[in-house]
Amino acid sequence: MTVEASGTVEAPVLEIRDLVKHFPATGGFATTRKTDVVRAVDGVSFILRAGETLGLVGESGCGKSTVARTLLRLEEPTAGAALFHGQDIFTATSMELKNIRRRLQVIFQDPYASLNPRMTVANIISEPWVIHPDAAPKAERADRVRTLLENVGLRREHAERYPHEFSGGQRQRIGIARAIALNPEVLICDEPVSALDVSVQAQVVNLLMEIQERLNIAYVFIAHDLSVVRHMSHRIAVMYLGRIVEIGAKDEIYNHPRHPYTKALLSAEPSLDFSSTRKKSSRIILKGEAPSPSNPPSGCPFRNRCWKAQDICAHASPVLEGHAGHRVACYDPEFS
Amino acid sequence: MPDPILEIDDLRIEFRSGGEIVHAANGVSFQINPGETAAILGESGSGKSVTAAAVMRLLQSPPAFITGGAVRFKGQDVLGMPIAKWRDYCGREIAMVFQDALTSLNPVFSVGWQIAELFRAHGVAFGRDANARAVDLLNRVGIPDPALRAKDYAHQFSGGMRQRVMIAMAIALGPDLLIADEPTTALDVTVQAQIMELLEELRAESNMAMILITHDLGVVADVADNVAVMYAGRVVERGPVSEVLARPGHAYTLALLDSVPRANSLGQHLKPIIGSPPDLARIPKGCAFHPRCRFATDLCRNEEPPSVAVTPRRIAECHHVEAVFNDS
Repeated sequence: MTVEASGTVEAPVLEIRDLVKHFPATGGFATTRKTDVVRAVDGVSFILRAGETLGLVGESGCGKSTVARTLLRLEEPTAGAALFHGQDIFTATSMELKNIRRRLQVIFQDPYASLNPRMTVANIISEPWVIHPDAAPKAERADRVRTLLENVGLRREHAERYPHEFSGGQRQRIGIARAIALNPEVLICDEPVSALDVSVQAQVVNLLMEIQERLNIAYVFIAHDLSVVRHMSHRIAVMYLGRIVEIGAKDEIYNHPRHPYTKALLSAEPSLDFSSTRKKSSRIILKGEAPSPSNPPSGCPFRNRCWKAQDICAHASPVLEGHAGHRVACYDPEFS
Repeated sequence: MPDPILEIDDLRIEFRSGGEIVHAANGVSFQINPGETAAILGESGSGKSVTAAAVMRLLQSPPAFITGGAVRFKGQDVLGMPIAKWRDYCGREIAMVFQDALTSLNPVFSVGWQIAELFRAHGVAFGRDANARAVDLLNRVGIPDPALRAKDYAHQFSGGMRQRVMIAMAIALGPDLLIADEPTTALDVTVQAQIMELLEELRAESNMAMILITHDLGVVADVADNVAVMYAGRVVERGPVSEVLARPGHAYTLALLDSVPRANSLGQHLKPIIGSPPDLARIPKGCAFHPRCRFATDLCRNEEPPSVAVTPRRIAECHHVEAVFNDS
């Protein structure tokens, strides 16, 4: 197996190659006739190295959550491969998958829907050990639940309570404790702080960063809040209409964005820094809205909103090009 | 100083249900001048939306009860105004844009019909004239093919376009005050930028005043002239945005600013606010923020903080304004 970027020093934990997920769209209700496909993810490739955070940003409908769900095989991919330490998640048998999932865990966005209201916190956190009994001997489980609770900033006595007794931020901590109960190598975080109040977001962001420092877990961090992603991530992938349009080191993407969509996205973000050189007048306001993934434009998916579109953009799809630290899929990459 | 267009004075609202009293607003005071953009900033449960709903007289009673205070629009008492007169006022003088455009629009009438209904209900225009005005408005808020789209229903529009329809309805009768309650919270950032630009354009064009209710510090910094920061049903700090966000005088404002990721906080841990916002049925004694505050002393635990003029244009309700101001 070849590693995608040959210059890398270590083999990636996770390597996604040409991931495609098309959903069949049926023609209205009372019919099952397949009329169309929704191209939710349309050829996404990236790697994730041990202990790093890859931020996946993009607007609603760009396919970022679908990427996460296919990686966990909550959705079956249409095509492509996802290699976890060289083993393809998509072709793994159920026994192999069980092993992979032990090392690849997830935190969901909605801390209200992702915890079973009828289970105590102790049962929620120790449920992974029911599936993987060898991960924690029965006699130790009660103690380990309490240690995990302390690790995520809750108290030992919370173990016997039920989810409804906790606030949103605390519930997200419970979800994190459950996710790290099996000492995973990769954690997929699907909008983990989006549902939380501003003052509580920072608590969870800090917790995730502390856990990464302590346990060296790699994160795929999905969010639409650019400032949170910038804070958390080492590398960033920007998605638009099912494809990655730009990927690179965080500083490269934020300080020297090259894809027009990335520039527009960064400039649209309301800024708190009054001293910032980015004035309102220089803000890029995109025309229109993202097209439907069931009917994307030919060629470059961004071309109909792009102020730099040329003839070629309508005929050919740009591919990610550049050096390993920063790659862009655009026919007009500006070097700033 | 011009006379304020809207004055909210010591407004108190409580919700009574199941033997519990939820104190949603505990003496909210706030004013806005003609043509100004003011933001009400707060987290969920801070009382910002409930204050707006009270101003618009949208609160259902029971469970909501206005137990004190007054709202004056152009000097006239709003809360005591006969409802028929208020209905005529609504739309013509004050209008509101809600966060969730899909549930705010009627699903069984075309959007053109709904906009035209405003003209008909207020006796401004009828028949074809009303319809033509509706199409003009859709055009004004940037909806492509307005004549065709006027015949479409709410579900046929995207989130951003739906919000434009809401804005078209709000500005239809040329109000002097627009209250926008989290108008872009459900939208993507690039669409948010479009909507905020549109609102600002419309506001400047007719010198309309705008109250923007939001939890997003960035949006406040971007568009508002003045800001009122709310916590546990009170305005804890208010003043010009450039002053308040650059150098807060209230411990909560400072803590909120410290807790959001910014360009200069990269690679560091954030400084979160401990705990979570208070239960409004059990608001802490003294200063409501004291259990989460790093400046808190016994004074804060026992006595409600006074209003302190931080600068000539700015007020904060905090026992430790000086310490906070010097720390920020």
